[in-house]
Amino acid sequence: MSPVPAAALLAALAAVALITDRAWVVAAIAIALLLLCLRAPRGRRRLYLVGTLGSALSVLLLSPLVSHVGTHVIWDGPRIPVIGYLDVTSEEIAAAGIQALRLAAVGLAFAAYALLLDLDRLLQAAGFARRSVLAAGLATRLVPTLERDAAGFVEALRGRGVEVEGVRGLARLMSPLVAGSLERALNLAEAMEARGFGRSGRTRAPSAPWTRLDRLALVAAILLVLGAIWL
Amino acid sequence: MALAEVDRLTFSYPESERPALSDVSLTLEAGEVVAVLGPSGSGKSTLLRALAGLVPHFHGGRFEGRVVVGGLDTRRFRPADLAGAVATLFQDPENQVVFGRVANEVAFGLENLGTPPDQIWPRAHAALVEVGAARLAERRTETLSAGELQRVCLAAVLALEPKLLVLDEPTSQLDPEGAVAILDVACELGAAVLVSEQRPALPLERCSRVLFVDEGTIRLDAPRDEALARLPDEYVPREPRPLGEAPGSGEAVCRLEDVTFAYDSRPVLERRSLTLRRGEVVALTGPNGVGKTTLAKVAAGLLEPQSGGVERNGRSCYLSQDPGRYLVKERVVDEAALAVGGNLERARRALAEVGLAGFEHRHPRDLSSGERERLALASVLVADPEILILDEPTRGVDPPRKADLAARLRRDADRRATLVVTHDLLFAGHVADRVVSLGTRDHVHA
Repeated sequence: MSPVPAAALLAALAAVALITDRAWVVAAIAIALLLLCLRAPRGRRRLYLVGTLGSALSVLLLSPLVSHVGTHVIWDGPRIPVIGYLDVTSEEIAAAGIQALRLAAVGLAFAAYALLLDLDRLLQAAGFARRSVLAAGLATRLVPTLERDAAGFVEALRGRGVEVEGVRGLARLMSPLVAGSLERALNLAEAMEARGFGRSGRTRAPSAPWTRLDRLALVAAILLVLGAIWL
Repeated sequence: MALAEVDRLTFSYPESERPALSDVSLTLEAGEVVAVLGPSGSGKSTLLRALAGLVPHFHGGRFEGRVVVGGLDTRRFRPADLAGAVATLFQDPENQVVFGRVANEVAFGLENLGTPPDQIWPRAHAALVEVGAARLAERRTETLSAGELQRVCLAAVLALEPKLLVLDEPTSQLDPEGAVAILDVACELGAAVLVSEQRPALPLERCSRVLFVDEGTIRLDAPRDEALARLPDEYVPREPRPLGEAPGSGEAVCRLEDVTFAYDSRPVLERRSLTLRRGEVVALTGPNGVGKTTLAKVAAGLLEPQSGGVERNGRSCYLSQDPGRYLVKERVVDEAALAVGGNLERARRALAEVGLAGFEHRHPRDLSSGERERLALASVLVADPEILILDEPTRGVDPPRKADLAARLRRDADRRATLVVTHDLLFAGHVADRVVSLGTRDHVHA
């Protein structure tokens, strides 16, 4: 499938997950997107899945504790300064469940976009705002690059007999990671300018024409969003 | 008319008092292949960047004199405007890649130059064919090896059909075969080629003229044969000393037996064995992708093999081939002290031994690439381990520093077992007692 209709379909699924109130629809979208993401190579998909599902789980577990909604109390806890009384109601659990599913669905839609789409061809299709789309494409590739850099730092430290332990140990790598990505961005900008980026009068390599499946996917994306608004 | 002319160029980087180039003049004729040699930090890269217009436009700084390439004065035309006339291939392919798909990467420059759309894919394909990478056209760039990626980067600049091709240490990450292939393609184009290298034999075999740059000035500008007689001794190519495979007789301090390792079910090592003995320096060689680094990491204890046995008697330290991994702390001395529990005195000594005395309080990211290489080396050597494993320690290191490193490893050889993973066969010949070559046999016994 061409990247534009595929991206439109993923965006539509994320939009439906945000619009609809039906938990089973959001759950079905999240499961479908999870299965889609599992088609990506294991090494690449791990960070996206851990990040998305971990965030959704956090929402599910923490949200009922800090919100104060509903009357059907399941658990009544102590009073915590600033936050107030801790309690969990069945309404809070239901609300946290759907918010967690929404977060998972949106996160997985982004993961599928980053892992499975040919972002280059998406860029080629953008006749307008090419610079912005190029920046978005490079930003998408930043996640695996940062992951590789972090693994490299940890390995170089272990190679000197220094173990990186816990969240504090990893947090100490944030500064060199950020500095490293800035340096890489400068090197890349230099290489891009040396290859004529920013010059006026640029052209665009022709892209393959859309197939019937591409048109169907685009129509399906529009219908999905309209259906979610209508229902 | 000359293709390129540098006239009395003096250039200083911002916040630097010492000029990187000082009163440099030269002319380049169409079609000539010029080797640019010299120590790290001598100004070679700055000279190449000046010819591409990146100095001063991209880096800023103080620029005096004039550089004209293909009739375009680099003070008036930006690097992007010079891109049709001059193309640059940089040292690290990972820092040049913009796109995720190989064909798109090669087409990028053509699009920027305004090539008619119907010519873009044919020219991109022709460039990939030229560098022997046509089969990679649909591959994702992140799945390519360093050698494959550098070929793709070369195709991306060749597709622009430049009159002047500037190569800044383009083969530092490649095995000898890969390096020869890249330089052969580049030098047979018909374009003028300016190539900077820290393995001088490669460009010296192909060039017609040699520039030797030191302390920002051109010390030697001569035809190759004349230059060979006048170059400093370390830069004159020699045949590597042949190495045997017979193991030493010292105590075994690291033993790998029938080790198997796979990344995501892709096997890299299958039943490999290797023994490292105290007192010996072992060179581990072989083509890119054969598993040298993986074997070294298993020996260092950084990777656990899926099967087979590993036995180590003593502390092991591993030097990564990427010096960018040794930039964790805020001061050079603190970085070097990491491996010795913050012992600053030992760190200072280690820094002095690699020529970084006086750099202790600098930020590691303020160091040049050659200085970073030395910091990485000091950060590992400071621990004085029983098992020392160095992965490509001469990448980007100039010949005199390589000679120093070889002498140091030989001096301390009796204290430990040393494994040096390297593509640099000349260095291997200088430093090693024996060679273990992967990719030629299924089992490496020693």
